[in-house]
Amino acid sequence: MKVKSLTYSIALLLAGAAHADLPGKYDGVTLQAKLIGGQQYEALYSRIADWEAATGAKVEVISKKSHFEIDKEIKSDMAAGTTDWCVGSNHSSFAPQYIGLYQDLVPLLAGADIDAYVPAIIGASKVGGELIMLPRAQFDVSALYYQKSLFEDADNQAKFKEKYGYDLKPAETWAQVSDQAKFFTDPPNFYGTQFAGKDEGLSGRFYEMLIAEGGAMFDEALKPTFNSEAGVRALNWFVDMYESGAVPKGTTSYLWDELGAGFASGNVAINLDWPGWAGYFNDPEASKVANNVGVVVQPKGSAGIRTGWSGHHGFSVTSDCANPEAAASLVWFLTNEDSQKHESAGGSLPTRTAVWEHVINTADSDYRKGVLATFSEAAQHAFPVPSIAEWIEASNVLFPELQAAIVGEKTAQEALDDAAKEIEEVLMDAGYY
Amino acid sequence: MNFAQSNVYQRTLKRVGKVAYILILAVTLMIILLPGLWVFLNSLRPINEIMAKPPVWIPQSLSFDHYKAMFDPVGSGGVPVLKYFRNSLIISLSSTLIALLIGLAGGYAFARTHFKGKRHWFLGLMLTRTVPGIALSLPLFMIMAKLGIIDTHFGVILVYVALNIPFTIWLIDGFFRQIPIELSQAAQIDGCTPWQAFWKVEFPLAKSGIASAGIFAFLTCWNEFAIASQLTRSIHSKTLPVGLLDFTAEFGVNWGGMSAMAVLITIPAIILTFLVQKHLVSGLTFGAVKG
Amino acid sequence: MIDTKQKTTLLLLSPAIIVLVMVILGPLIFSLYSSFTPFKLTRPDSINQFIGFRNYVRIFGDEDFWAAFVRTIVVLTIALNLEMLLGLGLALLVNRATMAQKTLRTIMMFPMMFSPILVGFQFRFMFNDNIGVVNNALQSLGITQEAIPWLVDKYLAIFSICVAEIWNSTSVFAILILAGLMSLPKDPLEAAEVDGCTKWQTFRHVTLPYLMPFLYIAMTIRSLDIARAYDIVQIMTGGGPAQRTELLWTMIARTGYVDAKMGMANAMSYVAILLSIFFTVFFFRKLNQARHQLGVGL
Repeated sequence: MKVKSLTYSIALLLAGAAHADLPGKYDGVTLQAKLIGGQQYEALYSRIADWEAATGAKVEVISKKSHFEIDKEIKSDMAAGTTDWCVGSNHSSFAPQYIGLYQDLVPLLAGADIDAYVPAIIGASKVGGELIMLPRAQFDVSALYYQKSLFEDADNQAKFKEKYGYDLKPAETWAQVSDQAKFFTDPPNFYGTQFAGKDEGLSGRFYEMLIAEGGAMFDEALKPTFNSEAGVRALNWFVDMYESGAVPKGTTSYLWDELGAGFASGNVAINLDWPGWAGYFNDPEASKVANNVGVVVQPKGSAGIRTGWSGHHGFSVTSDCANPEAAASLVWFLTNEDSQKHESAGGSLPTRTAVWEHVINTADSDYRKGVLATFSEAAQHAFPVPSIAEWIEASNVLFPELQAAIVGEKTAQEALDDAAKEIEEVLMDAGYY
Repeated sequence: MNFAQSNVYQRTLKRVGKVAYILILAVTLMIILLPGLWVFLNSLRPINEIMAKPPVWIPQSLSFDHYKAMFDPVGSGGVPVLKYFRNSLIISLSSTLIALLIGLAGGYAFARTHFKGKRHWFLGLMLTRTVPGIALSLPLFMIMAKLGIIDTHFGVILVYVALNIPFTIWLIDGFFRQIPIELSQAAQIDGCTPWQAFWKVEFPLAKSGIASAGIFAFLTCWNEFAIASQLTRSIHSKTLPVGLLDFTAEFGVNWGGMSAMAVLITIPAIILTFLVQKHLVSGLTFGAVKG
Repeated sequence: MIDTKQKTTLLLLSPAIIVLVMVILGPLIFSLYSSFTPFKLTRPDSINQFIGFRNYVRIFGDEDFWAAFVRTIVVLTIALNLEMLLGLGLALLVNRATMAQKTLRTIMMFPMMFSPILVGFQFRFMFNDNIGVVNNALQSLGITQEAIPWLVDKYLAIFSICVAEIWNSTSVFAILILAGLMSLPKDPLEAAEVDGCTKWQTFRHVTLPYLMPFLYIAMTIRSLDIARAYDIVQIMTGGGPAQRTELLWTMIARTGYVDAKMGMANAMSYVAILLSIFFTVFFFRKLNQARHQLGVGL
């Protein structure tokens, strides 16, 4: 098979038509792929058969695993040097870690419609200036979900106005979220809000709050600067929510599934969460708040900047791939307009401008239209995590310290100083300074 | 206190004791069973009832929806659970069988022969089991990736055999010590070869010891996750515990589906244990202690 | 000269030895080597760089590591001892039953059949402070009005993990102890009764000494594969919050795979292996002593 495909790519090179018209003809080529598994991601994979039919090539899915498992496997592959498979699922937050594993797609995609993707997302798909992944219709940025009935209740409105001196409406700033959360809280049956309390979830939430407060993770020399005043303000927002009991005491053990389940169970008033939950929250079979869900664009911090930590899934082509043109063709095909329409029909957000319009126009309910309008605005304020290979490692140093501050073992300043010191060591070991 | 009174007193005491015993037993069994039954119940309930707050104590609508969904095509709610089941079965049964054969040979050697430093060799063999999977998984991955046996039944079986050898040898060794060596000698005098003597005389006597070693080995393989998650990748070899993660996505866990699959994973183990539990107890009785 | 008998021994033992060398010893040597390098998964060349004991010096100077080390020992000691006591109780209960022995025994072994990863998911869900069944039950019964943060509180989080681990593994003790009880010779028991011993005295001086080897066997077996508790902890708390439930294995897994610092992780692994070996050898010795006292030979 290998010999065959090699001769084929030579033939292609000779023909001088390596990649003009994706997807192309690749008879006899077999591409090995490692794909992320799970319900949310697998509907798209039925399109692989279409690509096979169009090109004559075959795709062999040699691995299908969950997000973190596939990350582990890819790293193990790098260590073992077994990286001659071709196509891999990738994620913008994880991508910078895989140094040298994936190749720049720009030369392979000459003539393809790269400008049809949302430019900011293409920007976030680059590492060191190279386009190492093409984004699929799995874009994530968080917006603010809330229970509509609570905000519409006249009694609540009057009491809130009396207590805080301004009208009760879906929050525009994080300070307002804080007031409202405290106002609605009635433990143990009802909480004002909640947040991801561990792993990259917590680091990410802190990171976006830091930006919204006008701070930055690192300076230009990559020295940690998040232990600034803005950092302390950002962290104290979480500390205050926890201490005042406006979030469940278990929140530091929560990750996305607990948070989604919590809001769907109807005992959380306001919930910053991902677009993937929108359908679930409004599904009477799964959620107690169905038909009572509002979504507004995520609030601003004190610096007037909105939070907007974002990430997206995509596909990459390995540097060791024997058939990079075929692989690029597949990657493009799985992220082209039809594929993105197909995938976003499942409720996830597209990463192509035209598909955005398509999904908004074809939304089947007012709720869905509202959700999409909100998230398309939310996406305007989105920003990715710092593009360094050590982001995940830094996050693993950071989140236990954040937790320590939240549960009251350290002050915000102490926790951030300790984390900054340790992250500086990590980056020093990595050879940045 | 006359005799009759004391008798009544004794009887009452006995009856109270009996009631107390049944009560304690019942509570204990409840504690053991509840977490499992809770999973089973959840596998039959719709998600919004599982997640309800305030809780729904009396199930309102039971259905096999999660089970049905599990068998749907991949991508529309299903998980290739039959393939995982097949992989688990092949891997667990073959590893158990091979581990038993190797354990039989090794255990017999320890029980029947004397050599220098035997006890240290024995302890050394046992200690190979202390190495946590996490320390082995990467080197194994690297070697197997180079050999091209990643994501094959063979690779996983090989590792599982190694995991089960120490305990299997231990149990079987203990068991053979119980069987007087004279039996085999007598058979040989009657004209059997040592090989025949072993299979005809000693092996049948050691059966329940082998069965108990087998069930421990099987459960270890059937439930193992850390190493399987590293050495398997796709429907070619993914086992049930690894497949359980198919119900997790980056942002969510499908508890209903997961519960249904959990029930599916556990049932074969329960059936098997029920079938061999008699051997298990008698096997362990002699096997380990007198080793 | 090797005689035939020794040849047979060697032949019989060789499959076991070959497999163990291939699958355990070989990889272990590789791990050992890599613990002297700054090996990073994503920078495979780093395996060639020898840095001596730097990884070890680092972890020995790391407070978090020692905290996890001590926590691991404490959790192991508590969990193993409770499992032993509960297993003993359970075995005594089941052994007394006059009916439905077969069913009772199967129920007794029920938790053992659950995959640790499954147990982790199950208990994480049950101990969820908001929608978990434990808090729901406590609140419905009016025992508390609070949402108890089982997986977050300093002590409760460790407690919850121990509960899950104990639920999962007590069966192993119970089944081994039950085997012991069933093989208990009748004569000494009857003799004790004739001598007018109370039930407690009989248990203390006749039954228990006889059971000791079984207890130590169970202890040895459990300390051999105690590392499988990793699955449970990883799923339930992942070592958090604020490293309150960090055990050596969760730390090793995160350092090795998420941070990709495999060299460092392997250095930690070696400390963890030494710990397991210590526990195992300790109980193995006890086992041999107990056998000796019973006079069942070695």
